[in-house]
Amino acid sequence: MNGTPPRIGDYALLGDTRSAALVSPDGDIDWWCLPRFDSSPVCGRLLGGPAAGHLSLGPAEPATLVDRGYLPGTPLLRTRWQSAGGRLTSTEGMVSELRGRLLPSTLLVRRIQADDHAVQVRWALTPRHGWTRDRLLRREHGQAIVFTGGPLALSVHPSRVLSTDRAEDGVVTLAPGQHLTVAISAVSGEPLVHVPPDRAWQLLLEDAARWRQWTSRIPSDLPFAAAAGRSALVLRLLTHSPTGAPVAAVTTSLPEVVGGERNWDYRYTWPRDASIGVAAFVGLGMTQEARMFLRWLLHASRLDRPRLPVLLTLDGRHAPPERRVEGWPGYRGSTPVRTGNGARRQHQLDGYGWVVDAAHVFDSGCAPIDGETWRAVAGFADFAAERWDQPDAGIWEERGEARHHTHSTLMAWLTVDRALRLARAHRASPRRVRRWESARDAIGLAVRDRAFDQASSSYTRTWGGHDLDAAVLMLPLIGIEPTDSPRLRSTIDAVQERLSAGGPLLYRYTPETDGLPGREGAFLPCSFWLVQALAVTGRADQAVDLMHQLLDLSPLGLFSEEVDPTTGDMLGNYPQALTHAALLQAVLALRDAGVSSS
Amino acid sequence: MDWAGWAVFGLAATAALTSVLIAAQLAGWTRLDLPLLLGTLVVEDPDHARAVGFLLHLGAGQVFALLYALGFAVLGHATWWLGALFGCLHGGVALTAIIPLFAGVHPRIGSLRAGLESRAVLEPPGLLALNYGYQTPLVAAIAHVLYGAVLGLLLEVG
Repeated sequence: MNGTPPRIGDYALLGDTRSAALVSPDGDIDWWCLPRFDSSPVCGRLLGGPAAGHLSLGPAEPATLVDRGYLPGTPLLRTRWQSAGGRLTSTEGMVSELRGRLLPSTLLVRRIQADDHAVQVRWALTPRHGWTRDRLLRREHGQAIVFTGGPLALSVHPSRVLSTDRAEDGVVTLAPGQHLTVAISAVSGEPLVHVPPDRAWQLLLEDAARWRQWTSRIPSDLPFAAAAGRSALVLRLLTHSPTGAPVAAVTTSLPEVVGGERNWDYRYTWPRDASIGVAAFVGLGMTQEARMFLRWLLHASRLDRPRLPVLLTLDGRHAPPERRVEGWPGYRGSTPVRTGNGARRQHQLDGYGWVVDAAHVFDSGCAPIDGETWRAVAGFADFAAERWDQPDAGIWEERGEARHHTHSTLMAWLTVDRALRLARAHRASPRRVRRWESARDAIGLAVRDRAFDQASSSYTRTWGGHDLDAAVLMLPLIGIEPTDSPRLRSTIDAVQERLSAGGPLLYRYTPETDGLPGREGAFLPCSFWLVQALAVTGRADQAVDLMHQLLDLSPLGLFSEEVDPTTGDMLGNYPQALTHAALLQAVLALRDAGVSSS
Repeated sequence: MDWAGWAVFGLAATAALTSVLIAAQLAGWTRLDLPLLLGTLVVEDPDHARAVGFLLHLGAGQVFALLYALGFAVLGHATWWLGALFGCLHGGVALTAIIPLFAGVHPRIGSLRAGLESRAVLEPPGLLALNYGYQTPLVAAIAHVLYGAVLGLLLEVG
C-alpha cells in the first residue's frame, strides 16, 4: 500500500466467527480487531495509516493479480500473482473450530508458494496496540516472534526464519515449488498456545472440510446458488459463535462518502439484522443458525422489554456512547473515525416488526416458538399497538426530529398482524387479541389514508409527505395489500424511477435530504429489496436481470452497505450483514417465483 | 449438627435467594436466571427448564446449606451477620469461579472459543456475569448475603 488504501471492495474477508481480518489484493492485512469483532484493532492501517499496524505477505516485485477468490464452499482465500520473477500463489484463512483441542482462540494461517520460478516474497509484521497505535513488546521464541501488550499476546510462527536482526519487514526468496507458511496465533487474558506452521496448515485444511460440509446444507437448486452460498457463509462468519450475535459489519468508520464524515461504527448487533438473518436461514432450511439468532434476540432484549433497543453489543449490553478516535486519519481522509454508536438511544418502531416477523417465520418454517419467545413477542405487539402513531427515527436512523415514517407504520402493522397469526397457536386472552385486531385495523387505515400520495401514485417516506423511501419496497412482503394491488405496483415503479442511481442501484431516499453534509451512495439492500418486490409481484424476468447486474458489482461476492453510483466502488462498512441477508432474501423470492438454478 | 434445621431452613434460604433473583429479573436489573441455567443442562425448552432447574437449584441450595452448617459448627456459633459474611464470600466465589466453570461445561452455554459447529444458544456469563446486566454482581451479592443471613439466623449450633 503506497499511502492510499485499496478500494473497499478489493478487500477480502478472513474470519473464524469470533474475529475477522481484511486482506488487500497485495496480501496486506490492514484491519483485524482482536480478540473479537468489537475489540480494538491490532492491524488498523485501513483507518489509522501506517502507524496503526499491518501484517503482510505478498510479492516483493511489481506483480499483476492473476485471479483471486474463495475456494468453493469455504472461507479460504486463494490469490495468484504474476511477477517478472514468476508466479506466486497464496492460500489463507482462519481456524474456526477449536473444540476439545489445545489451540489459541485465534489462529490465522497464510501459505505462499512460488509456483514455477524463484520469486521474492515481501513480509511485514507491525501489529499495534489498538487505538493508541503503540508498539507491542517483541521477543523471539525459537523461530516464532511473540508480540505482547496488555492482555493480548500474538505469535507469528513462520516455517523458515524471516529475520535475524529484529526487523519489522523484509524479503525472502522462495525456490520453485517452495512455500512459506506463517501461523499467527493470538489470545487475550490467557497463556499463548504456540502452533507450528505445518500443524496450523493441517488444521486450516480440516476446518475447510468442515465449512464445505456446512455449505453443502445450502439447497443446490437455488437460483444464483454461488452468490447465495457465499452470502450465507459471510452471514455465518459475521455471527459471533460464543454468543450467537450477528455483527452488522466487521469495520468501523468506512465512509459512506469518501472524504466525508458519514463514518459509523457497525461492530454491534442490530435486532433488525438478526431478524432478517433468521428469515434467511429459515428459507435455506438451516434451522440451527436461525435458532441461534432468535435465542440471542431474546436474551439480549430481556432487560429492556417490552422496549427493543436499536442496537446492542455482542454480549447483549447497551452499546457504548459514540466517541471520536483522535489522530486517526480515516479511510482516504474520511474523518472522524468513530467508536460506539449514537443511534443507541433512538426510538425505531420498525425493529419490532422485524423481530416479531422473524418469530413468525421460525414458528411456521422451523418449529413452534417456546413460551418465553411468545411472551416476548406478545409484549412487543402490545408496545407496537400502543405506540404505532408516535413519531420515530425510522429505519435510516435519522438524527433530526422524529417523524411519522411510513415504513415504521407498516412495520407496526406487521408486528400486530404476525402476533395475531401466532396467537392462533399460542395462548392470548381474547381481550388482548381484540386490542391487537383493533390496532391492526387502525394502522392499516392510517397507512392507506395518510401515507399514499395520489399525485405520484406512491406510498411516501412520511405521512402526508411527497418524498419517497426505498424501504417501502417491503410492502409486497408484509401482506397489508394484495400483491396485485395497483397502489403497490405503482409504488414499486415510482421508487424504481425516482430513486434510481443508475442501473440496478437505488438511493434509499432522495439524496441530500438527511441533514448531513455530502451525497451518499446508492444503498445496496434497497436494490435487493427491489429484486424481491419484483419477484413477488410477478416480474421475475426484470428481477433476474437486476440480480445479474448487482452480483457483477463484487467479484469476491462481498458487499458493503452502499455503492458509489459513478465508479461502482463499495462504500460504508464492509462486508455488511444486512446486505448479504437482503441478497439471500432476494434469491429465495426468486426461487419462490419459479426461477430455476439454470 | 442441626439436621432438621438444615433440611427446613436450607430450603427457606434457597427460596429467599431465588426470590431476590426473580424480583431483580422482573425489575430489569439482571438476566441471571439460575433455574434456567441449571435446567437447560437437561432440557432445552426454557419453560420446562425453569421447572427442572428450580428443583436442581433447591438441591444445590441444600448442599451449600450443609457447608454453612459445618462452618457454623466449626466456629461454634451461628448468627445472621456471620451467615451474611459467609454469603458474601459465597457470592464472590459463585461469580468468579462457580458460574464461569459451570458455563465451561454446560452444553448449551456458548464458550468464548465456540466456532462453526457450536450448537450453544445461551449466552456465556462473562466476567462476574456482567453479560447478564451490569447490576448482576450486586444482585448476586445481595441474594447470597440474604441466603447466608437466613441460615445464620435460623440454624442452631450444638
